[in-house]
Amino acid sequence: MADDELDTLRARLEEYVGKPLGPSAEAPDEVNLPMIRHWVDALDDRNPVYLDEELAATTRFGGIVAPPAMLQAWTMPRPQIEGIAERGGAPGEMGSDNPISVLDEAGYVGTLATNSELEFERYLRPGDRLKTSTELESISNRKTTALGQGYFVTWITTYTDGQDEVVGRQLFRILKFDPATIGAAR
Amino acid sequence: MTSERNRSKRSSEIAVGDELPPFDLPVTSTLIVAGAIASRDFMPAHHDREFAVAQGAPDMFMNILTTNGYVSRFITDWAGPESMVRRIAIRLGAPAIPGQPLRFSGQVAQTSRDGDECVIEVAVRAANELGDHATGTVVVSLPLA
Repeated sequence: MADDELDTLRARLEEYVGKPLGPSAEAPDEVNLPMIRHWVDALDDRNPVYLDEELAATTRFGGIVAPPAMLQAWTMPRPQIEGIAERGGAPGEMGSDNPISVLDEAGYVGTLATNSELEFERYLRPGDRLKTSTELESISNRKTTALGQGYFVTWITTYTDGQDEVVGRQLFRILKFDPATIGAAR
Repeated sequence: MTSERNRSKRSSEIAVGDELPPFDLPVTSTLIVAGAIASRDFMPAHHDREFAVAQGAPDMFMNILTTNGYVSRFITDWAGPESMVRRIAIRLGAPAIPGQPLRFSGQVAQTSRDGDECVIEVAVRAANELGDHATGTVVVSLPLA
């Protein structure tokens, strides 16, 4: 890729940094016992604070709480199953005005998740209704990696409750790479 | 599911350098799909082997929410129901795929006091034959005791 072409791409990507990545979203359902039970069984996580009301009441939590790692599950968008494979796994149609689509169009079609950092301010209880907002934190310069050339894209999602108090955050970093450049000269 | 399950660690029992009891997770297609659907993640790579292979993966693979869920379980199985996970920060590596058990291991890296709580930082690793699936740090707190 020519240098000025690279600069144009870099400049286009930079425009998204510090701005919302997609619209803010509201969880389709409040935190609820059936989804907690589903998770507890799927992961065979027998921590009694998730389902045993009597025992949970004797702990610092004072009652049932949701498994902390479910944070993102509460706000996952409702999927449109038909066509999900053709969309590369995206639950719904994605607009083109976002850095991921810009990178896809420029040939950086590969995606590899590299980092996840979850922070919990408090554990969630049945009845909590979450909202999220996501901001693009940074985009790296173009790097040469084992998978080819690409950019590291980092965003931070903030989770708030019905009182607009922050209950948790997640930093997520992916590498968007161009599989055709694998083994390119450094 | 006994009283042992319901017993929490006392903060005074925990010291830097302590190893957590290792945990071996037998990863199967069913286990991967169960976690993906419980986390409402319908990406085909987490339930459709052909799709995953076409994308360059060796097989269908575990989603990140499930990985975080097992990391959390590994920590709270050790620390007990009074423990509160405050942070799970992981670097992602080799995929977790059917037929490759994941071994979770951890070591207490640091302890500190925050008000009436003991804050414990655990260095964690989940690895299979392909290499490190996830490595990182979990911060968990317990009431001071």
